[in-house]
Amino acid sequence: MLSMLTNPTILGQIVVNGMSLSSIYILVALGFTLLFGIMRVVNFAHGEFAMLGGFAMYYLYAVFSLPWVAAILLAPLAVAIPALFLEWLVFRWFYQKMFQSMIGLLGLSIVMIYSALLTWDAFERNIPAAFDGILRFAGVILPIDRLVTIGVSALALGAFYFLMVHTRIGLAMRAAAQDVEIAGTQGIDTRKIYRVAFFVAILLAALAGALYGQVYAVSPFMGERPLFVAFIVVILGGMGSIPGAALGGLILGFTESFLGTFYGGSVASYASFGAVILLLIFRPWGLLGKPE
Amino acid sequence: MSPLLEVHKLSRFFGGLRAVNDLSFTVSSGEIFGIIGPNGAGKSTAVNLVSGVTKPTSGKVRFQGTDVTGQPPHKLVQYGLARTFQSTTVFGNCTVEENCRRGSYLARYPGFFHSFFSTSKAGEMRQASDSRVAEVLEWLDLHRVRNVRAADLPYGAQKTLGMAISLMAWPKLLMLDEPVAGLSAAEADNVRDTIRKIRAEGISVVVIDHNMRFMAGLCDRILVLHHGQELAHGLPQDVLSDPNVIEAYLGRRYVKA
Amino acid sequence: MNSTAETVPVISKVRLGRSTSSALIGGGIAIVAALAIMPYLLDERFFYHIAILVCFAAIGASSLHLIIRTGHVSLCHAAFIGVGAYVSANVVMKLGFPFVGGLVAGTLAAAGLGLMIGPVILRLTGKYFVLITFLFGEILRMVFVDWQSITGGANGLSGIPAPAPVFAEPKYFYALALLAATACVAVCGRILSSETGRFVNAIRESEQLTECVGVPVIRTKVMIFVIACGFAGFAGALIAHYARYISPPNFGPLESLNLVIMNVIGGMQTLVGPLLGAIFLVLVPEFLRGYVQLQHIMFGVILILVMAFLPAGVVGVKDWVARRMIPHDRRGEQ
Repeated sequence: MLSMLTNPTILGQIVVNGMSLSSIYILVALGFTLLFGIMRVVNFAHGEFAMLGGFAMYYLYAVFSLPWVAAILLAPLAVAIPALFLEWLVFRWFYQKMFQSMIGLLGLSIVMIYSALLTWDAFERNIPAAFDGILRFAGVILPIDRLVTIGVSALALGAFYFLMVHTRIGLAMRAAAQDVEIAGTQGIDTRKIYRVAFFVAILLAALAGALYGQVYAVSPFMGERPLFVAFIVVILGGMGSIPGAALGGLILGFTESFLGTFYGGSVASYASFGAVILLLIFRPWGLLGKPE
Repeated sequence: MSPLLEVHKLSRFFGGLRAVNDLSFTVSSGEIFGIIGPNGAGKSTAVNLVSGVTKPTSGKVRFQGTDVTGQPPHKLVQYGLARTFQSTTVFGNCTVEENCRRGSYLARYPGFFHSFFSTSKAGEMRQASDSRVAEVLEWLDLHRVRNVRAADLPYGAQKTLGMAISLMAWPKLLMLDEPVAGLSAAEADNVRDTIRKIRAEGISVVVIDHNMRFMAGLCDRILVLHHGQELAHGLPQDVLSDPNVIEAYLGRRYVKA
Repeated sequence: MNSTAETVPVISKVRLGRSTSSALIGGGIAIVAALAIMPYLLDERFFYHIAILVCFAAIGASSLHLIIRTGHVSLCHAAFIGVGAYVSANVVMKLGFPFVGGLVAGTLAAAGLGLMIGPVILRLTGKYFVLITFLFGEILRMVFVDWQSITGGANGLSGIPAPAPVFAEPKYFYALALLAATACVAVCGRILSSETGRFVNAIRESEQLTECVGVPVIRTKVMIFVIACGFAGFAGALIAHYARYISPPNFGPLESLNLVIMNVIGGMQTLVGPLLGAIFLVLVPEFLRGYVQLQHIMFGVILILVMAFLPAGVVGVKDWVARRMIPHDRRGEQ
């Protein structure tokens, strides 16, 4: 195994896979943790928004043959803008009601999965790869599509960081994540904050779904995996903690890539689930969260 | 005679914060002992440490000569050390009477098997506990409201009910966490009378509060806690005239005036 | 004290509540009794089948109700049903024990697993308990898929024998299922109405206060959890030997969620709630047979509507569970 670790090809593979998995995981988890941190909503339907992102990408790129860059930019918007209607119809009733939101949004998740099943069917659809080929760099083989995934995610995360740190609305969102009541008394329009946070969260989830769908495949059930990932990442990092989501995503992505390469995907899943359960027992508020 | 409760060099650190540091005191039988201090002085942590809700980082707690450090609260109740809480003092959704029944687990619960089959042992224990409930309600003047939902009681009566619940276990020592926080002066006087009634039955009381007026008129001895450490310790009039205490409470400029 | 005592009118709110709840219990018993007899009146294979499914659901939902009454919503209850099902099927098929042996082994296995994880996970507060049971259910589902020599993997186990040849006929199995469900519900009801139930209610309403009057909170919760898991295993054994074929999706997160839904839409306040929920959740899909997607969508919509707009219909949820999930400082101390 040591010799495998020093093998630059395998090492490069692990790192690139780890980075691309991590970046998708972080995109999913950031939105999930944002909704939890600000609205106290446990969005069990988060994976379904990723699923819709996958379908949007499928139509825009594979069916309507838009240029890839246009498709990857439009797909998240095509999900997040109509989703604002769902925010008005469903989500707003569950704000600041953690338990109700868990069960109610599980209901929404079921509705979305089976509506998708009625609209499309259970079969998997493939989105043709936009970039094949490999890049050789210092003896390491790097698949280009993975690099593109990493690049797009990095851009999105950069934009998110800019929004949160350098804009008024981002500042208000962080204040609301700290304490909604205080933010409300400070003259922050919570209704607006909620809508922006929801929009951003869904945008990130749909982008993750579009990238994920291109690597794997698109189907009504594809949201299950992103939801689990969001769950695990967010518990790992701490519910509601934004840096925690980033850290958790990196840990999970690299663990899966590493264990998956050497021991297979099943072992990787057990290991990450087991680790999260242990963490929940000994430090339920996560690595970077705050104890209540 | 050895004291009822001995606390020896008790400390609790949360990360780098020393919430309680080297706290030592004793409480004798039949005594009302006060712990006083400004907000954030570590009073509640001190009660939590003694009553087993929080585990101490170091130090010892002895009750009637037995080392009970780090024991869980339900064990300490069996030894005779009970407490009330500052915020959740009662079960708001059920009647005053039911609150007291829930408080009498030790006398009332015959174990799963006896309870399931409602054996004669279970019946005897239930009857004994019901008559004790009636007795305590009468004693603390709650019998008229025994069928009222606890959440519908005035706040002062809820505090009294909180004490009644803890008294159902027949403790030897009762710890009260801020029993008059949020009460009017008249309600606070009622609570003070109740505490004296409890002491008259031979039950020692430890009271935590930051209200000096209330504490001075009630306690036999007072310990002043400041930043988790003992600042003064002794008779109420001596402690309250201590310049260090006045400074901690009111700020430096009041000391000389 | 005297003055405060006199200003509060002695209202008989509680008695009123008790009479409505006893009416509810009476009504519930009447409905259940009517449903119990109905298949025999209709005497049709299909109706026996539906009635048997109701019995299974009733055991699952009422045992989950026990856990919910301690203030914890478990999202892995169906996984414990699965443990009972796989253990019983293996004990009967591979070890050659009679059905009763499988039933006992399945029950004990699920209860034993509950005893192993209970003391650890029952220390967590509401929301973390939901999360950890969700993950634990998922792990068990993965075990059901991966441990092929025992579970048959994703293809499942088939050819499980009926409890006895006569019980291969739904008409007779129904008698068995009805007996099992009645016994289980009766035991759950008795636990909740006994002194144990009083302290279970106390634990749910305030764990800290209850601990400080001398109740060993963790031990009590573990005991209830183990009993509930045992019942789940018991139901699993019955399911395995009725369906004769079991596979991982039968015990997945969706099934666990269904058991929670039964409790939620029926009402978490009394044991009648999960029973009504069980009947509803088994019967309605049968009316929508052939429209599987629509049926799921309808359930989803019901869940959303109940959780969003009917907190009064599910009195319990808001008052008991939500309260424990709201961080302490948001509770408003006065």
